[in-house]
Amino acid sequence: MSAPTEETLFPTTGEPVATIARRGRVGLWLMIVADVAGTIALLISYTYLWSLNVNGGWAPPGARVPFTESNTGPQKADATWAAEWPFWVILLLVLLSTVAMWWSYKAVKAGFEAAAVTGAVLSTLLMVAALIAQWIQITTFPFGPSDGAYGSAVILLCASNLFHMLLVLFLLIGIVNRTRKGLISQDVNYQSQAVSYYMTWVVVAVLLGALVTTFFVESPNTDPAVFGTFETGAKSAPEAPPSPSATPSSSPSASPSPSAS
Amino acid sequence: MSTATTTVRGVEQVTQPPQHGKPGGIMRHLNLGTGLLTGIVFAVGAGWIVAALTPSSATTPTFAPAEPEYVYLAGLIGWVIGFMLGMGAFIGPLRWMMGRDLTHDDAEYMAGKDLGVKRYFKFTTDHKVVGVQYLVVTLVIFGFGGTLAMLIRTELGVTWSEVFSPEFYNSLIGTHGIAMIIAMIIAVSGPLGNFIVPMMIGARDMAYPRLNALSLWLLVAAAVCLISSMFVGGMQDGWSAYQPLGSQAPPGMLGYQLTIIVFAISTAIASVNLMTTILTMRAKGMTWSRTPIFVYGIFASSLMGLYAFPFYQYSQILALTDRVWGTVFFNPLYGGSVWLYENLFWLLGHPEVYVIIIPTAAVTLELMPVFLRKPLFSYNFAIAGIVGVVALSGLVWAHHMYMTGWAPAVNYPFMLSTEMISIPVGFLVLVAIGTFWRGTVWTRLPLMAVYALVFNKMIGGVTGIYLSDVPADQYFHGSMFVVAHFHYMLMGAGLFGAMGGIAFYFPKMTGRILDERIGSIGLWTAFVGFQLTFGSMFVAGLQGMPRRVLQFDEQFNISNWISTIGAYIIGLGMLIFLAAIIFSWTSGVRASGNPWGSKSLEWQTAQPVPLENFEVLPVVTERPYNYGVPDPYDEELAAEDGDRVEKVGAS
Amino acid sequence: MTATMPPPDAPEAPTNRPPSMHRVRNWMRRPYARWVMVLTVVIGFLLLPLCWLLLAAMNQTGAPASEIMQDIETTVFVFTIVSIPITAFVFAVLVYSLLGWKHVSGDEVPADESPAIRGNVIGATLWTVVSSLLAMFLVVWGLVELAQITANSYGTISADEQPGGKDALIVNVTGQQWVWTFEYPQHDGLTSDVLYLPKDRAVYFNVTSKDVIHNFWAVELGVKIDANPGAITQTGVTPNKAGTFNVRCAELCGLHHAYMETQIQVLEKDAFDSWVRESGGGRTS
Repeated sequence: MSAPTEETLFPTTGEPVATIARRGRVGLWLMIVADVAGTIALLISYTYLWSLNVNGGWAPPGARVPFTESNTGPQKADATWAAEWPFWVILLLVLLSTVAMWWSYKAVKAGFEAAAVTGAVLSTLLMVAALIAQWIQITTFPFGPSDGAYGSAVILLCASNLFHMLLVLFLLIGIVNRTRKGLISQDVNYQSQAVSYYMTWVVVAVLLGALVTTFFVESPNTDPAVFGTFETGAKSAPEAPPSPSATPSSSPSASPSPSAS
Repeated sequence: MSTATTTVRGVEQVTQPPQHGKPGGIMRHLNLGTGLLTGIVFAVGAGWIVAALTPSSATTPTFAPAEPEYVYLAGLIGWVIGFMLGMGAFIGPLRWMMGRDLTHDDAEYMAGKDLGVKRYFKFTTDHKVVGVQYLVVTLVIFGFGGTLAMLIRTELGVTWSEVFSPEFYNSLIGTHGIAMIIAMIIAVSGPLGNFIVPMMIGARDMAYPRLNALSLWLLVAAAVCLISSMFVGGMQDGWSAYQPLGSQAPPGMLGYQLTIIVFAISTAIASVNLMTTILTMRAKGMTWSRTPIFVYGIFASSLMGLYAFPFYQYSQILALTDRVWGTVFFNPLYGGSVWLYENLFWLLGHPEVYVIIIPTAAVTLELMPVFLRKPLFSYNFAIAGIVGVVALSGLVWAHHMYMTGWAPAVNYPFMLSTEMISIPVGFLVLVAIGTFWRGTVWTRLPLMAVYALVFNKMIGGVTGIYLSDVPADQYFHGSMFVVAHFHYMLMGAGLFGAMGGIAFYFPKMTGRILDERIGSIGLWTAFVGFQLTFGSMFVAGLQGMPRRVLQFDEQFNISNWISTIGAYIIGLGMLIFLAAIIFSWTSGVRASGNPWGSKSLEWQTAQPVPLENFEVLPVVTERPYNYGVPDPYDEELAAEDGDRVEKVGAS
Repeated sequence: MTATMPPPDAPEAPTNRPPSMHRVRNWMRRPYARWVMVLTVVIGFLLLPLCWLLLAAMNQTGAPASEIMQDIETTVFVFTIVSIPITAFVFAVLVYSLLGWKHVSGDEVPADESPAIRGNVIGATLWTVVSSLLAMFLVVWGLVELAQITANSYGTISADEQPGGKDALIVNVTGQQWVWTFEYPQHDGLTSDVLYLPKDRAVYFNVTSKDVIHNFWAVELGVKIDANPGAITQTGVTPNKAGTFNVRCAELCGLHHAYMETQIQVLEKDAFDSWVRESGGGRTS
């Protein structure tokens, strides 16, 4: 479809498409703000737990190490950290996918519709590859979600990547289809632009994850206080409560019995 | 591409995409009924599948929870997905992906054109319909939360025995808390933000009409999750759902977690919608200095919700994975930290209260000029106050954590920022007082509610000062003093203000005037009960009563008896107010398009408001609040100055 | 309503008093201005008893038993006084708006008669300056107070390094669902479920939890700190009154949170020493 002589109007509201496009951009930036906040929440979780090393439990143990009064948690040699290179491979795939999508957008803006479709298809394939790679990484970690706070944090960061990728995949399929059909054209292409912007943010999110998992691995707290065992599981039967205490101005109780701790 | 064209809003020959079937397509067949049906089918189906697949407890691995957890969680997720599917929420994205764009006729169908009452029970995009839907949902959630409050106060009033089991009581307090928080978050932004803001800025609808409907129905889905939690043991934790206590709770805690996760999505979408609408769709000539203060308030509240809610959402996601997937974020045994939870939670927990109070303050400042027939006092100060609150809101959260011991050194800067935030809040009080100053008081219900708001806000604000002081907090934290403080702010100022705002916009939303006599009786009865309940609760806190307890020392008996009597009075008052709403809505006095003589754009629409609000989009040429006459004292002062200059000059 | 002015033909001495002073003086001659000022003062005096009433409620179970608690009570007293002027003024405006300025009732939209005041530089400036000064006062008060308390108790310093640390009593407080246990490491790990403390001697608490978050609140001593699983938090106090006081849990910790209370017994030095001996704790202080 060639560029029309007059301004293209949006079908449902009769407004110029340029107005709709601007509105869409504002909304997209705001959604990204929420997405950024959520990603920051995960990054805070990772780095805060990394810095604390509560009960010596940050590192994922090589063998399951029971925590006792005398045990100071898994030692460096025992810890089974994630390999670092997969994070960067995944980042590369997402980055390439994003570049392909930008290329598609620039192509359609310049009027090269076939190239735009090719770019979008390429972007989709790369994103599928990234998804598969991320899935493989999660399922082949040498630790599970319970293996140290590191295990939980890394897996959740990767799961967040997965979620982003799935969302982007859906968007890319739509872009491919719509570009193919001519609904995204030299004249009306703000949706390609929006998806490109969003994917750029996704690259940043994956990058931040890769950075923390590469550079914040061993906890700086090498001498954590050890607490031994806790009982944070569900209690099956509550203990019988003592009767509510009388008003405190009553006479003190008799000499206390040393109770077992 | 079809060459069909049609006339859209007066613009001729607008090219349309191909029309597939009748306008609205599959949306013609989808409504609340199909939503409920699909939701229940998916919930039951998902639960059944998971029950069949989950290993029995004999072979459950160490960190996998017992079967009922998985089944309930699957049921919840099934419910949300199924309900949204049955409402037609996925049709939009699907059509987009397939390249089947909406035609103008489709859009009109979805906006509820010619559907009558049915449009309130469908995925309708008209912002006015969504506003009314929000109002109804808000009232339902308030009713739910209020009933729980009556039960709580009954337990605390019956001091000679336990009325409820500790399990049920601990669920009551948490569920009451979150229900009321949700209700207050949406109380003004939902009904009024949706219904009024587009009209107030001279627009035809919101920026994203379909997302508008989506945010509402997500809220409904979330509310069902919350109510369902009461049937599986409840959440048995405070509304802050501190971990690791939450991990001991029965499956009801999952209901809470899903509620928040879904509600956060609803809120994010609503925030984006409101903010984009305000930023990009103001009428021609409505510069920022001509924008009504209510718009500023809604914008600010949406902004705070946007950046802060994800932290709460993620705190619940992590708590959820801790429960069902064995992660250890909040499990100190394996490296988790309780402080992580507290920080993530309070990073929202504090801006949240401003998300609640700013819209109420803004609607109050919006209605005051109308009923005092004079401009808002110092519009710029009101904006400065709102901006100041937003700027500081993200910097004060750790005042909820003074007593946690997480980082004692930061107690100092947080005390500073917390005290500082009282200054912009004070600006809003100044503007209110200044607007009252020398005004002719038109004694209608919306304005009378403002008296209640300001009175309660002063008490709430001052008691907040005690709590912001770290040493004083060593006494007050975790006591009933805190509970009384935040009820004075969120309920005393927030709810009573919202009631005034709803009374103000009732004629525009329903075409009828809210019955003033019954409404006033309800409001002031509730006000009196409120003072009894929470004034007495301050005393209990001062005496040293901890919060979230169902039994306590005899010395607290009297305060609690008075509080409970007050609570029943509140309940009575609120029921009367609700009766006023229902009665007026169905058979009240019909209102003209502008019964209050307001000069603001939203009141210039016809009544009932046409589908697209304005025949012709308005152009704004004046600053807002053009009420009143020149101050007679000004003339005098000018004359005096003139005289004096003359006298001094001639010597 | 007219300002008081000399008759036009009387000679007026030239003045270099700034115009704003005239304005303020003339403003204060307006009836409503005077009434609001009077109401502010009256309401202020009506609110004043709150300062004492609040303290009376806090002291219901017994007067403060430490300097920290005395500090807290002084703070409550001072903050109340400091809050009264603005509160009284706001209430005065509300009252006067109902009693003094004009009212209209009924369904008809009233005619626009109110003065179109869009702002008042003097008023707004005054409010900003006063509220900022008050806020700064409260902040400075709070910061100084906090620094003092921290210097006397734990904060971030470990037990041995505390000022006066060597002479202090150390108590390890453990909260667990739903009891408090106190351990005296300086006395061969003597444990107790009632908190015995010597009078006039600093005591430092190491607080932790075995399961969920609790909160150790020594009510009349004015001391409060969370008991967290996986962490040790610290606080401290010097009790200066003998008697029986309360420990309550101030963080919801499960089903029997309401019952998680115990007593504090503050004893004279000799009585404390004999309790330690009788309970089998080896060394005394």
